[in-house]
Formats: sequence, C-alpha cells, structure tokens
Amino acid sequence: MEKVRDFVTEYIQREYTISEQMDIMELNYIETGYIDSLGLVQFIATIEDEFAIEFTEDELENPDIKVVGKLIHLIEKKIDGREM
Amino acid sequence: MRSRLADMFYKNAAEMPDKQAIWCDKETVTYGELAKLVSRYSNLLLENKVAYGDHIAIPMNNSIESAALFFSAADLGICLVPLNPTLPFSSIKAAMIAGDMKHLIARKSFFSECEKYGGIDVKGAAICLDGEYKGTIPFDNIHDMSDERPENENITGNESLILTMTSGSTGNPKPIDISQNNKYERAMAHIRVYDIVKEDRILAATPLYHSLAERLVILPLILGATSILLPRFTPAIWLECVREQQVTFTIAVSAQLAQILELLKQSDASGIDSFRAIVSSSALLEEKTKLELIEKLNCEFHEMYGTSETSTITNICFQKDAGKHKSVGRAFDEAKIRIFRDDDTDCNYNEIGEIACKSSLTCKGYYKQDTMMEAATHDGYFHTGDLGYLDEDGYLYFTGRKKEIIITGAINVYPHDIDIVVGNMPEVEECAAFSYPDARLGEVVALAVVPKEDTELKVRTIKTYCARKLADFQQPHKIYIVDSLPKNTMGKLQRMDILNYIRKMGFEA
Repeated sequence: MEKVRDFVTEYIQREYTISEQMDIMELNYIETGYIDSLGLVQFIATIEDEFAIEFTEDELENPDIKVVGKLIHLIEKKIDGREM
Repeated sequence: MRSRLADMFYKNAAEMPDKQAIWCDKETVTYGELAKLVSRYSNLLLENKVAYGDHIAIPMNNSIESAALFFSAADLGICLVPLNPTLPFSSIKAAMIAGDMKHLIARKSFFSECEKYGGIDVKGAAICLDGEYKGTIPFDNIHDMSDERPENENITGNESLILTMTSGSTGNPKPIDISQNNKYERAMAHIRVYDIVKEDRILAATPLYHSLAERLVILPLILGATSILLPRFTPAIWLECVREQQVTFTIAVSAQLAQILELLKQSDASGIDSFRAIVSSSALLEEKTKLELIEKLNCEFHEMYGTSETSTITNICFQKDAGKHKSVGRAFDEAKIRIFRDDDTDCNYNEIGEIACKSSLTCKGYYKQDTMMEAATHDGYFHTGDLGYLDEDGYLYFTGRKKEIIITGAINVYPHDIDIVVGNMPEVEECAAFSYPDARLGEVVALAVVPKEDTELKVRTIKTYCARKLADFQQPHKIYIVDSLPKNTMGKLQRMDILNYIRKMGFEA
C-alpha cells in the first residue's frame, strides 16, 4: 500500500515540500493550504481515477478526508473492499 | 543601460544590506543576502547558456527563490513564463509553445509528470529546483556561483520581462507580454496612489504566476520596503501572517477578503491593528462586507478595478469618497476611460456600455498575437469586455460582463474552454459551462451536459475526465445531466440562462 501513500504525499507536495519536522500523516492539507478549495475537486477525482474507487457523499463531507493519514487509510480500505 | 528594476533593487541592497527584504514561509532574507542570491541566480543562468532575450518557463510557487528570479531575469534581459503548476500537462505544453519556452526551471515532480506524458522538448537548460533529476541541472549548483552582479549594459527596458498566461476564449493560451518598463511604471503608479513608503511591510497572498503577486513582490524591493510573501493562502494562514509580520499594506482579491472576514467573525480574537491600507481587487464587495472589514481591520479601505492587459484603471477609497460607494472609483493619472456603445460611439454620462481604457501602463500586447490586441483596441482604447458607466464626476461604475466569463476566486475561466474539453467526450452530445454563485469563491464553475442518445453517462465519469484534462480552477463543482440546453430562436446557446433553466428543471441549484 506504499503506492497509495506515495501518490497522495507526492500530489500534495507538487508546489511545496512539506517540512520534515511536520508529521505528514497528521497534516490537514486543506487547512494548511497545500490543496485549496479549487484544487480539492480535482484532487479527489484524480484519486478516484488512479485507484478505481469512488468516495460516497458522506465520505466527502467527513472532515477526516482532509487529513493525509486518514485519507490514505480510507483509500486503502476501499481498495481492499474492491479486491475482496 | 542596465536594467532599471535591477538597479533600483541593487541600490537598496547597497544602502541597507541588513534590512529585511523578504519574509516567506518562516524564512527571512535581508537585502544584502537577497542581492547575493539574485547575482548567484544570474550567474547560474549564464553558466548554463541562458542568454539575453531567451524565454524561461517556470511552474512557479511562492518562494524567496522565485522572487529573486524576477530580478535576475530583469538584470539579464530574460523573459519569464510563469505557469500555474496545477495545470494539466496538455495546457502546460501549449503554454510553453505559445510562450516560446527555451529553458525550463521546475520541481522534480514536474519533470517526472512530463516524462509520464511523453516528455517535453527543452532546447536549452533544464534546472531542477529540489534535488537531482536525470538530464537536469541541480539548482543547488547555485552555491558554487559567484555572488558578484554580472555586467550587462544592453538593457533598453522594452524587453519582455514576463509573459502572463491567460486562457483565450478559443481555448488557446493568450500570453500577455509585460516589459521591464511596464513593470516599473506599474509599480511606481501604485506607490504614488497608495502612498507606499520604505517603512511599509507589503503582503502578497496570491500565486506568483499572477501579475498581482508579482507587483506586490517587485514593488517593495525596488522601493526599499519589505515584502511579505505568503506561501499558500488560507484565511487562517493569512491572519496569522498579518499578525506576526505586522503587515501594513496589501492588495487582496475580494474572495479572499470575504473568507478572512468570515474567520474574523467566527473567532473571538481581536481585530488587526497593523494595517495602514488594504486594497480589494477583482470583484466589488457588498457595502456591509466593506464596513465589517473596516471595523475588523482598522485601516483605509480601497477598491480597484483593472485588467491584466491595462493594469489598474481606477481606485476608490471607501473613507474618502463618501456618496460614491457603489463606484469602482476614478481613473489613475495614467489612464483614460471611455464607455462605448455597440456601434463604437461614446455613451453619455450614466449610460451603460463597454468599458474601454487607454493607459500608459498597458502591456506590450499579446505575445506573437498582434491581431488579437488590435481587435480589442479601438482608437487607442482597449475594450475590457466589462460593462459599466461613468457619472458626471468621472467615477466609474461596473455593472457586469460583456464577455462570457466565470471569475472564481479572482481567476478568469472561459466557459468555452471547458465546453471544448468536455465536448470531446465520446458520450457527450453538447455541453455548456456556466457560473454558479458560491459564498466562498464568489462564483464556481458548473456544467450542464446533454449525453448522446442511447448512451449512459455518469456524473462521476465527467468529473474524472475533467480532473485529467482541466486545471484545478476550471473543475466543475456542479454537474447536471440534462436533455437539452437553453437556446434562442436562432439556436444560439443562452449561457446566462442555464442556472434558471436548471432550477426550472427541478434540480437543486
């Protein structure tokens, strides 16, 4: 599942490298501006495309999706569900 | 002659080497340190055969290095093509071709993305900003460069300094060509109008690939003031930065100010007391919002109106121009305004027509697209595509747009660009992007799609397609699948009516 982690963290750091002192898994990428409100729609659609998954409306509205670690966990869960 | 912009900066560095020049993302450099960085950057470019008149494309982020590059480019007579790093690869490639890119400065992730999509033809130097990447020159080589300013006496001031990429209504990039003299004169006009002084701490909070932030970084550095460069915008980061850095002046886009006000109203925190003046640009704010902002920000409040082609055309100070609060103000000394009817005759006072402007701050033109600039200019007046009127006292009032355009978070989106991309989906019969009101961003992009008969088309499929093919600011936030689009009797799409049409069809809009 390293692929998921790499994909998400690389996408978020397209413009700015996140400081090594920061715990990237705890990072809220919206509050810290690494993805802005215009970019969020594209980010989510890109993830869905890359991993052939779909987020539900409830998942998209849940603030957890904006935290890197929780987003990665959710993607992995969805991939596992798809493969079962 | 040497570059006037670079000369002014280097003069400040010589006179006050220890003064803070830039703060960005918790890092600070003094004028002395920045001058060394600018010189090293120039020497790195020269070492790698970047020559006078060459064009460098750069997917640009807000950083001290980006700010330094503006002055290196000016000093060497080089033209920068700053790009939005979030653009899809096809748009970036088109922009590079339209901007005659010879060299490329980018991050590793950008080079890797290019490779994924079949590569990009860089004829000159490719410099990697963050580490090493095959076939590129590491930016870290800058540390081996001399910090002596290179000699270059061949600058006339008329050299293109920046090509600002805007999207044309045909879907092709429309590079706005800004010369060194343009940048200098624009900076000086704003210094005069807003009484900006060396003691000011000036905030740039929009991306550096837009002309607003470029101005807000170049202006303090030629004046000897301090530039505060926000790496990324969120209302919370903006407020924290303003408080910590004691910002005294900024030009913000109205959508940002509306979000900042929301945050200020939510929190119990006190207002801000460091500002001397704030200027709101892009869209006119409601009077209630302005009053609330003034109460929270305790400073002079201005609004400006302008275009990327002409720079700022008008300004109004809320506190000084009582009774004219619905106006966007009076013309800068450099600009003259006329309002034209459709038959190109002049409107009377208070009669709505197309706003046109003649200004010494106007750009050189659209790069290699002279006919487009000529088509937009009549009798020396650039037609803005906006509608408005002048009153008897010379105040301009903005009433709407003549061109079909969506402005989301101060970024212009041409709906036709989105129509073309989505219209290429094999399942789509026709489609139309339109403006949808949004509390945070003013407007967002919405899309109505008519699928071909007997095809199944899901909203999700369209979203994924858009994510691949469109830039972040072009992404449709709302997608409606409909049976037909509203058209007039001649069969012409009525884009302005789509929202009402969607509502009538019973969609939640």
